[in-house]
Amino acid sequence: MEEKLSSVAKTFTPSPIQELSHLAQRCNAINLAEGFPDFSAPPCIKQAAVSAINNDFNQYRHVQGICDQLALKMNKMHGLNIDPLTDIAICCGQTEAFAAAVFSIIDKGDEVLLFDPCYETYQGCIAMAGGIPVYVPLDPPHWTLDPEKLMSSFTSRTKAVVLNSPHNPTGKVFSREELEVIAECCRRWDCVAITDEVYEYITFDEQKHETIASLPGMQERTIITSSLSKTFSITGWRIGWAIAPASAASAIRNIHVKITDSAPAPFQEAALTALSSPTKYFETLRIEYQSKRDFCMKLLNSVGFRIQFKPQGSFFLFAELPKDCLLSDVEYVKELIKQAGVVVVPGHGFFHGKSGSDQPSDESFRHQKRYIRVAFCKSEATLCAAAQKFGELMNAKGSPKLHC
Amino acid sequence: MQAAECTWSQFEMLRPLCFKSPSLFSNFSKHSPFFRSNSRINRYPSFMATMSSVSTRNDPLSTPQITHQPLQVAKRLEKFKTTIFTQMSMLAIKHGAINLGQGFPNFDGPDFVKEAAIQAIKDGKNQYARGYGVPDFNNAIAARFKKDTGLVIDPEKEVTVTSGCTEAIAATMLGLINPGDEVILFAPFYDSYEATLSMAGAKIKCITLRPPDFAVPIDELNSAISKNTRAILINTPHNPTGKMFTREELNTIASLCIENDVLVFTDEVYDKLAFEMDHISLASLPGMYERTVTMNSLGKTFSLTGWKIGWAIAPPHLTWGVRQAHSFLTFATSTPMQWAATVALCAPDSYFEELKRDYMEKKAILVQGLKDVGFKVFPSSGTYFVVVDHTPFGLENDIAFCEYLIKEVGVVAIPTSVFYLNPEDGKNLVRFTFCKDEETLRSAVERMKEKLKKK
Repeated sequence: MEEKLSSVAKTFTPSPIQELSHLAQRCNAINLAEGFPDFSAPPCIKQAAVSAINNDFNQYRHVQGICDQLALKMNKMHGLNIDPLTDIAICCGQTEAFAAAVFSIIDKGDEVLLFDPCYETYQGCIAMAGGIPVYVPLDPPHWTLDPEKLMSSFTSRTKAVVLNSPHNPTGKVFSREELEVIAECCRRWDCVAITDEVYEYITFDEQKHETIASLPGMQERTIITSSLSKTFSITGWRIGWAIAPASAASAIRNIHVKITDSAPAPFQEAALTALSSPTKYFETLRIEYQSKRDFCMKLLNSVGFRIQFKPQGSFFLFAELPKDCLLSDVEYVKELIKQAGVVVVPGHGFFHGKSGSDQPSDESFRHQKRYIRVAFCKSEATLCAAAQKFGELMNAKGSPKLHC
Repeated sequence: MQAAECTWSQFEMLRPLCFKSPSLFSNFSKHSPFFRSNSRINRYPSFMATMSSVSTRNDPLSTPQITHQPLQVAKRLEKFKTTIFTQMSMLAIKHGAINLGQGFPNFDGPDFVKEAAIQAIKDGKNQYARGYGVPDFNNAIAARFKKDTGLVIDPEKEVTVTSGCTEAIAATMLGLINPGDEVILFAPFYDSYEATLSMAGAKIKCITLRPPDFAVPIDELNSAISKNTRAILINTPHNPTGKMFTREELNTIASLCIENDVLVFTDEVYDKLAFEMDHISLASLPGMYERTVTMNSLGKTFSLTGWKIGWAIAPPHLTWGVRQAHSFLTFATSTPMQWAATVALCAPDSYFEELKRDYMEKKAILVQGLKDVGFKVFPSSGTYFVVVDHTPFGLENDIAFCEYLIKEVGVVAIPTSVFYLNPEDGKNLVRFTFCKDEETLRSAVERMKEKLKKK
């Protein structure tokens, strides 16, 4: 049977992340790693799901009302005209929407640009469809987009650019100028933009999320993917969508039907309640996450970090290890688990390949092992407990005890 | 907050994934999905001026013709149109027809399972589940499998939870089939098999099951299967015919697979709707577990088709491929429903016995009714489907018959030609379902008796 394994299967190696996870579990660590909330979903949305189950919304269905509401939202937020009958595909989470989007347009050998650091799943999807991921590094410490790096990554094989904004893991929100650069490249090279906008409602300090689809010439070449998960703290319900020009949306819908057939019925019903939440809900979401962000920054600064990039959105903080800390990210995370009982994610897993220079040296991608990602989508109690643990890291003189 | 099982679901995404062999992954057609002009657009002179110092890798700017093509999708996808089920359902609504087409019940699932889901939601089990399944659910699946087949499996290494059996099929195809691999299918087949095999770039070899008993044509199978065959797909009990693969047929298939080192993917979603004989899992035959992916789901057994809870059971080396594809397709499966499914799978024997009894009564009503109306009804041993020959009514083919049936009689059936590679093979057959309450079944039969006349 061994020879039945694919060549890829044979290259599989155990992950250092797995080892860290076992260590964290053994130490019963406070979890600031996982990207989902440990607080409850909004009661009225849960109630809507409960009602749906009780009212027998339990067979295969497609809830057109979701599309109607999304079309309204996209018009209100971004000024886009979306046809709810033809331009939207409801999927099992943004994950499936993205997978279906990739399958709908990526052929074997097509190149897809990704901004580095980035969420791991995109690459897997692209490879599964026969595409080739090409990484465009964002420049630390502020994760700015260098137009030169972007432009030089395009080839005649480039089919699409993946844009995740607000961004996991850095918390960056791509600026209008940056969106315009990306848009211009897409127009110029006749490429598609596939977006992941799951954190669209989590932005801070007057920052507003803009979708690249609202830029000139972009709606006809953009596939937007998003979901309920992060906005409504229901990551386990699997309700997401793709919004695209009708021909692409139709293809995505048809692929989705072959992959899963439909998204969970009772949660589609509950989505109607979620999507009609009053403006106040979204404002409160922002304010609460912003205060959690500020709390986390203070917390890290108190143990020797100097955060150079304040998250503009998402619920992640991507922090560079203190200069005098000689540990790698993985080593630091291990120490943090052992000494403080708190777990975060080592950043190097989000980086791919060499950082953009033609002569890559150890120096130029040394930074890839110098970041940790902290998730602050946690209850006050969790964050305070984490703060206390971090506090114990400081010795009597007020300097960090954590051996670096 | 859920316990440890959800802790690392995000982490799992950070595993280093080595995609060294592009051949593992799906290969679409060779057509360019885009109309791409070779000329470059020079519509934004100021930007271009700024960027003029940047050298681009391959493509010089050429003549500034403005070609402005909207986003176009691959020509290969034109095959995957709106499904026949949706089309028929839409037509049914328009004409107020009784829907015996689409395979989902018009009655709901059992209260004890629904209550378990509600409790899970209230208990806060609403965040990402572990990618390959909530541990308790994986355990329940393993326990159920042991009860049904006698096989002892490791729930941690050999069970993957998916969004319905549909996703289990997609993940199995995309995770285990390389482009160019030969896969054998039995027609008629559930429509997602062909679609996902096509996404995986497989070469499909089709063996047609024919009325009246839809027996496996052993000679054809013998000549179709070879050392070049990568996998064979079996659906038993079978949609749309209701056929159940017999022990003899499964033994034959098993020995051919062992001899030629072929994988088997089985879709057993109707295993609890086995009426005329016992359901046999191919994985339980000697030498078969190590090469089989056994797929199933909650939906049909518990009348909760919209919850999308399914699973794949396979030895670790095959489970790995399924889990990889699954992690990129949907990442995780609906959490509260998994908790409810755990409760469901532990239902007492009496639940399953009553389920069978109920369905057998419904089947009797429909089958007798269809015979009385004048259809030639083929024997169906399992599932909640029955196929019939419609030709006594003088319509040209199955699609024409179904349209007539909706518009003039007010009943929906599914034309079976869509389940064949060659639609001609199905033109005499249509599929009815009896997963409806008895009153609906009787009304449908009455309408047909009244308005459907033999020619």
